[in-house]
Amino acid sequence: MSVHQLLYLIKESFRTIKRHKGVTAISIIIMSLTLLILAVFLLVTDNMLMFMSQAREEMRIYVYLEDSLDRSVIEDYHRRILSMLEVEQVVFISKEEALLEFREELGEESDLLDALDTNPLPASFRIALKSAYKDKNKIELFASKVGGLEGVEEVRYGKDFLEKFSTIMKGFLYVDAFIGIVVILSTIFIISNAVRLSVVSRKRSIEILKLVGATNRFITTPFIFEGALQGGIASFIAMAMLFFIFLVGVKFLPELSFFSPEKAFAFILLCVLIGSAGSFTALRRFLRA
Amino acid sequence: MEERNVIGVYHLTKKYGDQYALKDVNLQVGNGEFVFLVGPSGAGKSTLLRLIYMDEFPTDGQVVAGSFVSTTVDRKKIPYLRRKIGVIFQDFKLLEDRDVFENVAIAMRVTGEKSYEIKKLVIHILTQVGLYHKRNDLPRKLSGGEQQRVAIARAIVNRPAILLADEPTGNLDPDVTEEILRLLFRINSGGTAVLMATHNLSLVENFGQRIVHLKDGIIHEDRLTGLGGNPSDKLSEYRWNRKRLDKQETTGELR
Repeated sequence: MSVHQLLYLIKESFRTIKRHKGVTAISIIIMSLTLLILAVFLLVTDNMLMFMSQAREEMRIYVYLEDSLDRSVIEDYHRRILSMLEVEQVVFISKEEALLEFREELGEESDLLDALDTNPLPASFRIALKSAYKDKNKIELFASKVGGLEGVEEVRYGKDFLEKFSTIMKGFLYVDAFIGIVVILSTIFIISNAVRLSVVSRKRSIEILKLVGATNRFITTPFIFEGALQGGIASFIAMAMLFFIFLVGVKFLPELSFFSPEKAFAFILLCVLIGSAGSFTALRRFLRA
Repeated sequence: MEERNVIGVYHLTKKYGDQYALKDVNLQVGNGEFVFLVGPSGAGKSTLLRLIYMDEFPTDGQVVAGSFVSTTVDRKKIPYLRRKIGVIFQDFKLLEDRDVFENVAIAMRVTGEKSYEIKKLVIHILTQVGLYHKRNDLPRKLSGGEQQRVAIARAIVNRPAILLADEPTGNLDPDVTEEILRLLFRINSGGTAVLMATHNLSLVENFGQRIVHLKDGIIHEDRLTGLGGNPSDKLSEYRWNRKRLDKQETTGELR
């Protein structure tokens, strides 16, 4: 295809959009509503995944030590734990620091602690694991290893929570992937139908073009370009609508966050691709017949 | 020396289901020849033309159009055949949303011709068919005869060796019919072979051209009428005949 032919076809696509304002507007509306559903799904998934990774990120293992342990033993343990393969970071919290933290947590009610004669809180190590080891089984293994050290009173890592969390996460990922496949397939289906609408409305023109010797590429190029353009515009509208929905949603769930600019851009790009792919498939079926 | 044929139809059979549209048809059209294909509606005229410009393919037999052979042609190459065959129809088949200029230009745009060349040639052709002054009008603003002239201009703008015409005057009144015929004869005298299908034998039998009779998918007669010669000379004869026919119609007299 020559350059001036391509330029002609691009100009032609804009002219066609102008000429067929009605059909174009309808298919853009259909597309933006469909893409809105896809966008809502993606935003919910994105937030859930972010929440999960944050929860994983913040997970710590607490190793409580007996009061009788010597300072030198504690320092030795500190070094040994730090050198373990799974460990990202170890913080030692002395009895005094633990009390101070507890005081802060209690806030206004911290005077309750004044009634105590001795500090009941044990010293501890707070351990962050490398993310590759934040798996339920690996954590258990690690916990039993550390728990076996002489003078360790208890190892805590929210076993119940972790179990529940990993089941919920697995369930969520399955359901999410299923919904995702359904939503994406119906998006492509609806969009390729919307495109077919505009193909059928231009059936006569296509026949005439074939009659005067237009190649399939000459016929399909403007449609693919239009599909891409419509997909882009529709995804922009869908993004704007999603943002309004987000503004309402964030009042109820302040933890919600919107797409990062990169993700929003990727979404628009994806819609441009879906739009042109929809055009292409709708036309291919039509040109073969 | 034998004249090269631009159209060759050999033992052509076309079936739709159990129904024969064409049965063992043989027809050759020489380079620069003018042939009328005559027969009642449903005789298979349009089917035959569609097979020649390869919109359809034979059930049996072979069609050769220019250098394209129906039995061996790569379907992807068919657009290139279409650029070598001009086709016009009873219903003109113009792009309703594009002006006269674009309707003619489109046949060159698909070939990837440069805009400058397109403009030059389209203006030339539009002048030839007498529609240069209407180049910016949409088809719906034109009369039937003018629309057909646009279609003809589009069909010949790529200088095809073959022009196929499927009932080109079917929607036009007698004056305009004559004008379109004259245009087709002129194109033919420039060396383009013309195959024109019509159901109207009385319209064409006095031009001294070859007439092929098609009925029920079979060729019944293939003859040269009159003495041959320049068909434009015969137009005056045609005009005289038409007056006679009109008179008969008004008086109810039988021929």
